Amino acid sequence: MGTIRVRFITVALVVSFFAIGMAAFLNYFKYKSTIGGIVKSRVLVVGRSIENSVQASLALGLQFTELATLPSQMRREMSSDRLIRGIDVFDDTGRILYSTEAARLGQHVERAWTEAAASAKSTEWTGQAPGAYVAGISLKNNFDLTVGYLALRYSRGYVDRAAAAAARQITIAALGAFAGIALVAPLALIVVIRRFERDLQTLENAAVHLEDRAAQPPLTGSAFDTIIGHLRASLRDANAALDDVRAKLDSAG
Amino acid sequence: MLEKNYLWRVYWQLAGVIMVCVVIALAVVSYFSHRVFDQELVPETEQKAATEGASLRALVLKATSYGIPFDDLYGVDKTFEEMFSENPEFSYAGITNTEGTLLYHYGREPQGALVHFHSPALLAAMRDATVPWEVALVGSQYMVSMPIVGVSGPLGVLHIGIDSVFVDRVLLEVLLDVLVVLVVSLFFTLELLNFMAGARLASGLGEFGQQVDRMRSGDFTARARVRAHDEIGRLLRRIDAAVDHLNVRYEFLAGELQDKLRGASAARREALRPAAAALEAVGKRFQFGSSPKGVDLDEMNLNRIRAPLFAFIIAEELTRSYLPSYVNDLLVTVPGISPQVVIGLPIMLFMLIVALGQPYLGSWSERVGRRKAMLIGAGTATVGFVATALAYNLIDLLLWRSLCALGYAMVFVAAQGYVLDRTGQANRAQGFALFIGAIMVATVCGPSIGGILADNLGFRAAFGVSAAMSFLSILAILRLPATDVRTPEARPSRGPRMREVMALVVNRRFMTLTGLAAMPAKIILTGVCFYLVPLYIVSLGNTSSMAGRMLMVYAVMMVLIVPLSARLSDASLRRDRYVSVGLIISGLSGLLLLLSDSILVLFGVVFLLGLGQALSIAAQSALVAEHCQEEIRVYGHDAVYGVYRLLERLGNALGPLLASLLVVFWGYQGAFVSLSALVLFCGIAFTVATRGERWQGVTALR
Repeated sequence: MGTIRVRFITVALVVSFFAIGMAAFLNYFKYKSTIGGIVKSRVLVVGRSIENSVQASLALGLQFTELATLPSQMRREMSSDRLIRGIDVFDDTGRILYSTEAARLGQHVERAWTEAAASAKSTEWTGQAPGAYVAGISLKNNFDLTVGYLALRYSRGYVDRAAAAAARQITIAALGAFAGIALVAPLALIVVIRRFERDLQTLENAAVHLEDRAAQPPLTGSAFDTIIGHLRASLRDANAALDDVRAKLDSAG
Repeated sequence: MLEKNYLWRVYWQLAGVIMVCVVIALAVVSYFSHRVFDQELVPETEQKAATEGASLRALVLKATSYGIPFDDLYGVDKTFEEMFSENPEFSYAGITNTEGTLLYHYGREPQGALVHFHSPALLAAMRDATVPWEVALVGSQYMVSMPIVGVSGPLGVLHIGIDSVFVDRVLLEVLLDVLVVLVVSLFFTLELLNFMAGARLASGLGEFGQQVDRMRSGDFTARARVRAHDEIGRLLRRIDAAVDHLNVRYEFLAGELQDKLRGASAARREALRPAAAALEAVGKRFQFGSSPKGVDLDEMNLNRIRAPLFAFIIAEELTRSYLPSYVNDLLVTVPGISPQVVIGLPIMLFMLIVALGQPYLGSWSERVGRRKAMLIGAGTATVGFVATALAYNLIDLLLWRSLCALGYAMVFVAAQGYVLDRTGQANRAQGFALFIGAIMVATVCGPSIGGILADNLGFRAAFGVSAAMSFLSILAILRLPATDVRTPEARPSRGPRMREVMALVVNRRFMTLTGLAAMPAKIILTGVCFYLVPLYIVSLGNTSSMAGRMLMVYAVMMVLIVPLSARLSDASLRRDRYVSVGLIISGLSGLLLLLSDSILVLFGVVFLLGLGQALSIAAQSALVAEHCQEEIRVYGHDAVYGVYRLLERLGNALGPLLASLLVVFWGYQGAFVSLSALVLFCGIAFTVATRGERWQGVTALR
């Protein structure tokens, strides 16, 4: 196979790899962000319920630090969705005031959570915890002042497993498509470049017989016929001139 | 001789076949991805609907526990409405009683819903409080039904409908990105064809053509060249061999004649006279021997610049669609300066460094060598990209972006010099077409792919990709010839001197072109494309990918229209009219936002801006040579064009600054409109200024 043909086929394979790779990449990340969004909004439904309850208590005049029924409600809500690993409510310093895990009470949440909550453009914010994603809601009182934050930790493994399963299927589809291209593209390219290769072949044949004094290979109607004609004529003229010198030298003895 | 577009015809045919294959492959991937989305996302959404439903059911049960009759609840519609606003994939919600009679509903009722609600099987199942929920496909919706069971027994059923085409809506965004990938793939294909095969083919065939031309003119001098191991290389080797044989024959004949003449008698000399005359005639008619070692103008080395330039420029272009959003993320309060202006600072600083650096980096790259200058530039930019990806806040980001700008200016100038060094009057236009072509293709591919990467991988990882591309360009630069060559006509370059700048900025003719055309064109380009479009699109709730797509529209317009407008304006010799029309169209572009603030209108803005810029850009610099001959005679070509480019690039730096100030006072739409109005004003002023007899007289003389 000619080196030019190999190069053209390589180009086709590189471009196909890029396009298929990008398409698979886009589909995978779209899937991951969509499933992540669906799961997060599902978890936030539970969070909204707690938020409503906190706001109702605050509206009745209770202090944010004195919501006695909140821990039991948090545990109840947590049990309504198996994805939820734990629920925390913390103040603006990050100190946990209420939690479904007693051991976490009084501890501080990761700084990234408070930063994400403070910089969020809406009441919802997101974060990460070891082995879990965090969906958060800023808790506001009737005067629209933020009194604290609600954080729902939910299974990272669930989202990651779903994404990994999708990635596997998308990768298989992409590899299959690439394998198909790897078979079809070279054949299609060979058909297209046959004429070009024929032209090059004509040129090469002409070049091989460039110095033959006998009949030269006939022109085949290729794109290079004119230039081959010029090449032959130039060499013929030069050789004829040198032949003439040779003849005159020979005749001089 | 060889038909001029022969190779391009071959390329397009190959690109066509590759594109067909790619389209089929993308269709296959998209089809299977759609299946995956359907299989996995629908159950997840059903689960989500069930969670939403459980929350809503709790509210209903709470209300009925206070004694409110189940069929007389207040505000159910409002609750449904709130649920829909947070879950766009829900398209219907309803509550029926235990007989299946609809009591409350909201949204688009699917066909067959009432039949489904009255289905005895469903009603029987929904009397059991332990049944969590059931799903059935009703019309075009997946209907999630859940029992509402109070303390006194079953009350009714809650139904939530999920539109089955919601997966299609999710995938629409992906589809748009896949289309972008397709367009990028086309340009990428042409670039790769040129890089992997075309450059060598074109230079090989070009050299073959030149060799035949030389032979036709009688030049059979042998040239010592290393030939490639491919079809063209073999061909050239055979021609080299034929030429060598001719040279040997000539040398042999000349030697033999000399031998015979040496010590020959008068009679013998007389007999040899015809042969000597014939040899002398051959010597006059043909040239034999070794070719004088001239300047290396071979196209292969010229073409080699394209790959590193493309890889380097695309590294920067990748950042265009998301840089302002990244800056927004790293924003720190700068006392006394509006955040909008601060966001524009890195872009402005970048453009300023490039503008001020380029005139002086030209002579620097000449001194250190083009290849070395490019290596230093690409290395500097790579460090800049890596550091930008790791930036802590805006303050250090400014420093890292300055490194990128310095590297960009170095590579740009050195690459330009590389082309200048290897081209003469005959092929300079071809050399610059190659240079500009690489940049244009990078501007088409970069912003759109950059937006996609930023959306999916994040800004920092996307900058990491830019760093990788910049590093890749270093590898390609290493393949460039280590020795510099210069054409005889090349002169040492220098930056413009202050007195030249001062003299030209008060020159009316020069400033009519520069101040009313070149600078406004650059101001609107960087102000709108690099600053306003990315920020405005994100402010509308869209993604960086969308910003990338918009910038791609601009670049595609440039690629398609610039060659055409350049040809037409050159042919018509009315370049000033092309500049006028281009500026006016650019000026009208932003005014479209007075009609609406929709994405479609923004598309129109970018389209018109691309059209306007494409019409005027090629004619602008040609007008300098056309109308500033007196200035060129006094200050020299380099000085006049140096000041012109300097001011034009200062326009690049002014664009983001002006746009950000306008945003502070009038918001995004106001900024688009006022920036466009400024360019429209300049366009009209330019048209008026170039209608006078004095101006026309210069054109007539031409």
